[in-house]
Amino acid sequence: MKRPIRADFEREALPHLSALYGAALRMTRDPKDAEDLVQEALLRAYRFFDTFEAGTNCKAWLFRILTNVFCNQYREREREHVVMTEAESSSANLEQFLSGAGAGRDSETALLGRMVSADVEKALAAVPPDFRLAVVLADLEDFSYKEIAEIMDCPAGTVMSRLYRGRKILQGLLYDYAVEQGIIAGSDDAAIDTKSEGGAQTLDLEAFRRQKRGGDAE
Amino acid sequence: MNCAETTATAQAYIDGELDGVDRESMERHLVGCPVCAGRVHVQTRFRAAVRAHLHRPEVPFALRRRIEEALGAQPIAPRRWPTWMSLPRIVPAAAAVFLIVAITGTVRRSHDSMVIEQAATMATTQMPMDVTGDCGSIASWFRGRLGFPVHAPALGSGANCQGGRLVNVGERPAAYLVYLLSDGHRVTFLVFDPRDQPIESRDRRVVNGREIYLGSGPGISTAAYRDRGLGYVVTADSDEDTLTRLLTASFTR
Repeated sequence: MKRPIRADFEREALPHLSALYGAALRMTRDPKDAEDLVQEALLRAYRFFDTFEAGTNCKAWLFRILTNVFCNQYREREREHVVMTEAESSSANLEQFLSGAGAGRDSETALLGRMVSADVEKALAAVPPDFRLAVVLADLEDFSYKEIAEIMDCPAGTVMSRLYRGRKILQGLLYDYAVEQGIIAGSDDAAIDTKSEGGAQTLDLEAFRRQKRGGDAE
Repeated sequence: MNCAETTATAQAYIDGELDGVDRESMERHLVGCPVCAGRVHVQTRFRAAVRAHLHRPEVPFALRRRIEEALGAQPIAPRRWPTWMSLPRIVPAAAAVFLIVAITGTVRRSHDSMVIEQAATMATTQMPMDVTGDCGSIASWFRGRLGFPVHAPALGSGANCQGGRLVNVGERPAAYLVYLLSDGHRVTFLVFDPRDQPIESRDRRVVNGREIYLGSGPGISTAAYRDRGLGYVVTADSDEDTLTRLLTASFTR
């Protein structure tokens, strides 16, 4: 008979194995490293399972451990492999292309509809690690800003800005791929500096709320 | 809400992070502003498209098997599993230490003490703290939560307490204290009831008449000792000599 703690752990934690492995694969970009990372994280979680409060978000707890193990053991290696820095990232802008003059449903369908999974994976892998992790946690795993802040051990404002930058870089890369493959025609008008729009000031939700509350009070 | 405010909060809106009033205000603006509505539409579509294209990969069978085996394995190591300790009584956390060592080999085994292994693993895991503040208030937070009083060891003026956490060593509650030194190094103390917790290792030194046992893990050094009926495992992300000097200075205070 399985000991109760193991049965509890298997019931609570193992359903998240697929999500953990998917995130680990996108964090390490190497199947073997991803397997080692998940195994290490799950065994560590098992070891500290008595510190997990039953009824709280087990998935977020596991992701936090996964992220910690990754930062401690894989991060330096990962940094060495980063081939694209922010400065080198694409400056093309999907939003401008899609909402620009002459653009409409056709261009939107051409780009978004003809995106292939391999290109999206390739683009995501080229996004710098912190931004990539924020995108994976928000867009694939549906974590809230607050949960991502806890998992990544950073303020919610940082989560928002990482998410914003990550998506922007991802969009730029996908736009580039689409132009390269002739799915859409490149346009100089579409090129803008990805850093210029939505700077830190516009990303701070709390600041916006404070400002708004102040404005309402006047 | 105007266009600038809409731009600032569009991402939060798309991610479902705006609360009622802000969301309604945003939606009222979107109804009357095709430019902002177009922008939000594109971003929403993009998020959905990315999501649709990024599948969760299938978990390799080999990984499932490795994890299953690791959780199920019950390695027998006589020196670590004394006869007075029947298997069902042993906390699963301790079992996992064995598993990590036995199956993955990722925790380097430089000593034979389970509590030292535990302290080393905790030190390399950024665990959330139950209590933060100065050393005095952290020590008093533990009052009533443990079967013994905790005094945060004095590490000199360059060291500040970062936080404390209630943990278990074996089946008994213990205190975990984290310090940050002025040179950026991190030092942790695990203060526990030392009954049934061997800490002896080959690397024994005598500091101020007190026996300490040194060891090392991945990127950290450990020192274990007993003092006035309590057990201590100290870890530092520095070498053993630095840790020994730190303890020597602490013992003289």
